[in-house]
Amino acid sequence: MECCGPGYASPADAIKAPREKLLYTIAIYTGTGIQKPDYLATVDVDPESPTYSQVIHRLEMPGIGDELHHMGWNACSSCFDDSSMSRRYLLLPGVRSNTIHVVDTATDPRAPRLHKVIDGAEIKSKTNLSGPHTVHCLGSEIIISMLGDAMGEAPGGYLHLNKDFEIMGRWEASMGDIPFGYDFWYQPRHNVMVSSEWAAPNTFMPGFDLEEVGHLKYGRRLHIWDFEARKPVETMYLGEDGLIPLEVKFHHNPDSTHGFCGAALSANVIHFWKGEDGWQWEKIIDVENEPHPEWPIPVPGVMSAILVSMDDKYLYLNNWLHGDMRQYDITDPHNPVLTGQVYMGGLLGKAPVVNGVEMAGGPQMFQLSLDGRRLYVTTSLFSTWDNQFYPQIREKGGVMVQIDCDPVHGGMAINPDFIVDFGQEPNGPSRCHEARYPGGDCTSDIWL
Amino acid sequence: MRRATRVAIAQAIFGCDVLAEKTRPGRDQGPRFTAPKRSRVKPGAGDLMGTFKVTLANRDNAQIEVDARRPLLDSLRDHGIDLPYGCQYGGCITCAAKLTAGEVTQNRQVALNNRQINYGYIILCVARPVTDITLEIGVESHDKLYRNPFLDPLKAHELKADIATPQED
Repeated sequence: MECCGPGYASPADAIKAPREKLLYTIAIYTGTGIQKPDYLATVDVDPESPTYSQVIHRLEMPGIGDELHHMGWNACSSCFDDSSMSRRYLLLPGVRSNTIHVVDTATDPRAPRLHKVIDGAEIKSKTNLSGPHTVHCLGSEIIISMLGDAMGEAPGGYLHLNKDFEIMGRWEASMGDIPFGYDFWYQPRHNVMVSSEWAAPNTFMPGFDLEEVGHLKYGRRLHIWDFEARKPVETMYLGEDGLIPLEVKFHHNPDSTHGFCGAALSANVIHFWKGEDGWQWEKIIDVENEPHPEWPIPVPGVMSAILVSMDDKYLYLNNWLHGDMRQYDITDPHNPVLTGQVYMGGLLGKAPVVNGVEMAGGPQMFQLSLDGRRLYVTTSLFSTWDNQFYPQIREKGGVMVQIDCDPVHGGMAINPDFIVDFGQEPNGPSRCHEARYPGGDCTSDIWL
Repeated sequence: MRRATRVAIAQAIFGCDVLAEKTRPGRDQGPRFTAPKRSRVKPGAGDLMGTFKVTLANRDNAQIEVDARRPLLDSLRDHGIDLPYGCQYGGCITCAAKLTAGEVTQNRQVALNNRQINYGYIILCVARPVTDITLEIGVESHDKLYRNPFLDPLKAHELKADIATPQED
């Protein structure tokens, strides 16, 4: 094959990539009372290695209080034809500080190093944006959803960086009448981007007041964009089925128009697709609330993340308050079939201890191996929200668990040999959130 | 989540239907909860000098002199007391501290709901003293800052200022 830029020629090629041996996850001290920087942890996930299931390196950020959260690569399979590009840099935005850290993972993958810092104040002054969240590469450039303006008010917009991580300005031509931003995913062959809604930074950063949902301070819509024109063209009002719609994932197959969104508070999965009559949506998964002896009302799942396997066969979701991870066969995206479920932590008391570690939190963020067999799951959501729902996480820290998944017949099981207890970190208990693999993962790559 | 449960949550918790689209009340529509007495400016002993005394209750009652015009976060840092902070415009709650005596002005803060304000919480990156004050600082002071929103709902007058309704006696 003539070659090649980063990533893989197709999702089918990605599935055949070598097994991951390292992964990166962010770990925070923001909000914990420990006056140390947040950091990028390298975790050894090679079962043949003597340091398997351990944090083998910690790259501290230069400042304190960033609240690292999500990450993204500088390049993905959307640059596969561009041999001048490589998947080398991981971008780590600080939700609170607004600063974006560019980390070189290629010089020494086990010990990534800081390459560049994009100052949060410069981003504010040049673009009037704050609250960075989702990072996607865009061919050779990068766009980042920013959830607020420089003063933390919604809707924010999209920060556009060039391949040298210089601020190009705002990516979008218009936000239309979009009230809030959060996650987004695009499908270039259909000239479409879909974005979801959390809330203004000034609303979600201090913590979650349920009453503010009723006061329309949290989202309940999805937005369809004309990707080339960079403007929203259609809104899907999800109403009660879609309270706080967070993660958006399209099928990896670039020809497909099917995508999914997890509505966190409604604990529903929304399926959307382009039919003969235009864009349509339906609710395909509805997680029932569960009774709790100490709660006056049943506990909602709080489905804060979803993920689609590289072969587009399985959808994974979490219920942070219930404590379960689920696997659905979405071969027919209109009719998902539950094929796996495991508990790890949560408020229902079904799995308070996993592999000897007491869980303070529930399944929260997760990353699936390219071959679909290993799902790495972490337990912290966001510092202030952790403090509200799982206050004991301050002493116990976060945990990373590996769930073994059967991509052929379905099914999930906790791997008994793997657990990373961030309660035992050298500077005290920290909290882990999103994870990425050096060779690409199931939430980063888009095909043109 | 089923609609019946959702409505039950909404009604149990704040007496209205969370699902109903409502007009957002404008800031000038009717009376609003007014932030507490702390926002009243009261000249203090040090006022003529433009400085006030800050006592740090959970730092062995250490005392420092601060400029009345500077945000407390900056003044504390000048004295070597480095506290966590985030947005620096009063929106993200990272630098919250508890005021146990005296008064501050913090009109720019938008992070605290009225219950948190009534507990004495202030946002150091925008708060300035208007009298001598006593503070508890750091995460140790956050004991009442966070609550499970499902188990311990806010009353209408305890919401953030822009959406709170006045307390009925």
